[in-house]
Amino acid sequence: MIVFDHVSKTYPDGTMAVEDLSFTAPNGKITVLVGPSGCGKTTSMRMINRLIDPTSGTITLDGQPTAGIDKVELRRKIGYVIQNAGLFPHRTVVDNVAALPRLLGERKQDARDRARQLLNLVGLDESFARKYPWQLSGGQQQRVGVARALATDPPFLLMDEPFSAVDPIVRAQLQDEFLKLQETIGKTIVMVTHDIDEALILGDQIAVLRQGGRLAQIASPEELLRAPADRFVADFVGTSRGYRSLGFIHADEQLTVRHTPAAPLGSSAAALPPGSDGWLVAVDEQARPLGWIHRERIGEVVTAEAVDHAGSIAAEDAPLRDLLDAALSSPSGDGIVAGADGGYLGTVGTSDIVAAIQRSKRGRARPADEEAGDRA
Amino acid sequence: MNTVWLSSNLSWIAELTFAHLWLTVVPTALGLVLALPLGWWAHQVPRLYGFIVGSSGLFYTVPSLAFFVLLPGIIGTRILDPLNVVIALTVYTIALMVRVVADGLASIPPETVQAAEAMGYRAFQRFVLVQLPVAVPVILGGLRVAVVSNISIVTMAAIIGVQQLGSLFTQGYSLGLMTPIVTGIVLCLAIAVVLDLLILWASRALTPWRPKEVAA
Repeated sequence: MIVFDHVSKTYPDGTMAVEDLSFTAPNGKITVLVGPSGCGKTTSMRMINRLIDPTSGTITLDGQPTAGIDKVELRRKIGYVIQNAGLFPHRTVVDNVAALPRLLGERKQDARDRARQLLNLVGLDESFARKYPWQLSGGQQQRVGVARALATDPPFLLMDEPFSAVDPIVRAQLQDEFLKLQETIGKTIVMVTHDIDEALILGDQIAVLRQGGRLAQIASPEELLRAPADRFVADFVGTSRGYRSLGFIHADEQLTVRHTPAAPLGSSAAALPPGSDGWLVAVDEQARPLGWIHRERIGEVVTAEAVDHAGSIAAEDAPLRDLLDAALSSPSGDGIVAGADGGYLGTVGTSDIVAAIQRSKRGRARPADEEAGDRA
Repeated sequence: MNTVWLSSNLSWIAELTFAHLWLTVVPTALGLVLALPLGWWAHQVPRLYGFIVGSSGLFYTVPSLAFFVLLPGIIGTRILDPLNVVIALTVYTIALMVRVVADGLASIPPETVQAAEAMGYRAFQRFVLVQLPVAVPVILGGLRVAVVSNISIVTMAAIIGVQQLGSLFTQGYSLGLMTPIVTGIVLCLAIAVVLDLLILWASRALTPWRPKEVAA
């Protein structure tokens, strides 16, 4: 557990970088510090491993004040992932990961064996071990950076804009893999980002900081979207927060799934039912949905070329946002739903999804109504 | 070409070549070692960069002959002591290399150094294990210039009577012979080429991690 207790940082020129910051980063959770540039988020994170010393207040790690621990000893207990990875250019990938264990006196072979396991864990196979950093893509370097931070199995992990230097597709992939990794390693993580989307995806809790390093709100992603504390947080979270918040809500039992007929590839057009307004769901040999297909575009038989790929496909257990997106992007107006095994399940209509959203809002509003009743 | 002079002086020429070699190599190595902490200091404290680099560079402007002549008075050596030459050339090497070391350290990606600090490398460990190895190409690039320049400055020591290849120039002048002079120039060039290639080779050997250069 990392606890900030009334922490402030003032620079000699009088600039207040962080002002009276108090929060707790619980064990095994990802706490994301987010805010516009100049909000002191990086300064706050760097005070944890004392790259910067606070002017006042205390930071404790599992109850131990960091001010009382030797800086170097402290840093060795805290993994650090930096933007652009910051790998050692003169060391191979495996030796980058093994660097800190080697520095702490571990035998070369042991350190390298463990490094190889860690590289595997972050999705880099044996062929990368002997390469030098310049031979890797930005995304691969960042994976090595994560493996290096885990080399001594520290309980804490600090991440400074870890995924912001890679392109959006790689970033999404790294974020996804990182969440899976965190499920197995369960580190206590403090991460800094300027990207609210990244914060919403990765954070168990999000601390929004405003200019001058003051805490505007600390909350779960869901709560942040649902109940931003003030105008600043609302603006920072962004105008599409209503849509984004659907990413944290799941459909209830009442959502109607229609059984729009399927059109298996290769089946003859004459044998197909009329569908809804002529639209059918094309499925492959394993009955997995491929996309929409219109009767008029089918020739003799159903072919892959005739499939319309505009509509996204939502998983059965996906949040309402995915279902809504499937419907909104669909040429037919309905969203395709796939089951847990990937097989075609049915379709959902926009109006049914909106009804489900309204039901969920009523469900959330209820506790507030009761409070109002109590006061009356 | 006066072959008689050449053949009768072969062993002396060999002695001069060896003397020239160590009078160049020892101060170059010493200068490099001393320039490392100074360059690190200049890099570490940006406020002092101008002062440290500027004032050490100033020594390069002191004429070598003046140095050779003045040193015995300052440090109490004999006028003919080769130590005067070693010290003067060490100072010249420092003058050239402090800036090179500081700039070499500045050429390292800042996030690499920051990562080392955040991982728990102590300042000295950081310098030896991360900064120095990464700065090798820049530092040894500068050293190639320093060593070649030292080879030529060493010849000046002939005027104060310290024996090395420069002695061939004074000899040739006093005998009115071109052969010793040409021999001296050729051997100086040969030493320069050999030492330059040695440093180049060392630089490549120490940096197997650099992207392979496209054939020049």
